[in-house]
Amino acid sequence: MYKIVAILKQFMPFLITLFLWRLAIYFWNPAGVLCLIPVFYYTFVRPIKNFALFGLLFCFLVDYRCDLALFWTCLYCLFYAINGFQKYIDFQHTGNNAMYMFMAFIGIGFFLLTIYGFSWMNFVNNLWLFIWMSVLYTPITAIDNWATS
Amino acid sequence: MINDKLSYKLVRIIKAAAAAAAVPVFIIYVIIAKPDYAIMNGLAHIVLPVAHGIGSVITWPIRAVGQSADWVRETSQLRAENKALRVKLDEALANKYSCDIAILENQKLENEINIKRASPYKTVIADIQFDDSVFHHNNFLINRGKKDGLTKGMIVVSFDNRMVGTITDCGSQFCRVRALADADTNIAIRISGSDISGFLHGNGKSKASIGFFNDTQFVGRKGLKVMTSNISGVLPSGIYIGDMLDEKNVDILRPNNISRVMVLQYNDIGSYK
Repeated sequence: MYKIVAILKQFMPFLITLFLWRLAIYFWNPAGVLCLIPVFYYTFVRPIKNFALFGLLFCFLVDYRCDLALFWTCLYCLFYAINGFQKYIDFQHTGNNAMYMFMAFIGIGFFLLTIYGFSWMNFVNNLWLFIWMSVLYTPITAIDNWATS
Repeated sequence: MINDKLSYKLVRIIKAAAAAAAVPVFIIYVIIAKPDYAIMNGLAHIVLPVAHGIGSVITWPIRAVGQSADWVRETSQLRAENKALRVKLDEALANKYSCDIAILENQKLENEINIKRASPYKTVIADIQFDDSVFHHNNFLINRGKKDGLTKGMIVVSFDNRMVGTITDCGSQFCRVRALADADTNIAIRISGSDISGFLHGNGKSKASIGFFNDTQFVGRKGLKVMTSNISGVLPSGIYIGDMLDEKNVDILRPNNISRVMVLQYNDIGSYK
């Protein structure tokens, strides 16, 4: 029993990511973008072994479904490189589970996507998604912590 | 211990360097491979169904609850919907004979002036799996793919024969469809009942914009019907898109308003590839 629980805990980050991606729904979780929360969290804040490739794959899947041609994949790689090359901003020891870093991650993405195809509707949609994902970051990471602890 | 620390740091830097090197590679690939993205789409054709399958297994309790709630909601709406449909049916039957006569007259005239119209020889019915409308893009996935004879470029219409979008990528069991509201949509159109042609482009909203008319004097007005045109040789002509709302905007059908669509497959005469 303990072994099963231990294995489940080990796979929990992967399952949570897959779970959020699969539960894609119009307006609330379009193209499964909420899976970027565990992808960010388990790559930068609480790094899990072999998770980076998995995260890369899910950024790619979000890109494919949004027809964004590797946009989030590139941004993810860029953040991975920035995180690896320096110690000045340490994602792992930033308060609030590095929530501000996550907001910067999606904020940069949403900003670029807003100015690329600018329309007021697009701006409002991206703003909504930015706020929604920022609000959900804390509860989802808390659930992640609870599930894997 | 020092060696461990050193090797950890080294591994971290190597990983970061690999990630940094991947960025220009990806960007160059996106520039070079546009618009087909053969490698990227090929990878997605393998990964997406696998992730979807595993995801379906682990999310079934939530989806079952959601589907039950949908079922209850739909059932409660059936009575009112039935009443509204009966009224519509009566109206449609009242117009049926005049429509039949108009169709026959139209066919006779087409035969007389030797017009060959592109008409679908087969339609494939598909369910919308996901509506992925986000950012400036407006895509959705349908549950039919190459196995059902679908290919890139085919037209997707609603059950009332209104254009919804075009297929942009096809896996073996799914297709990605670009809806009319997508910012990359740019299709040739014609104002119904006239020779005026132009182009329609999406902007992420429920109304698309039209412009670049062949008649510079033309001013659009509310109620004009817009349909596809074959002037660019990409789309077949005569598929209804929507009504004009004002001078520039057309009311289009968005995927979040429908759950099932038809894909039109054309014969060689009406081929639009």
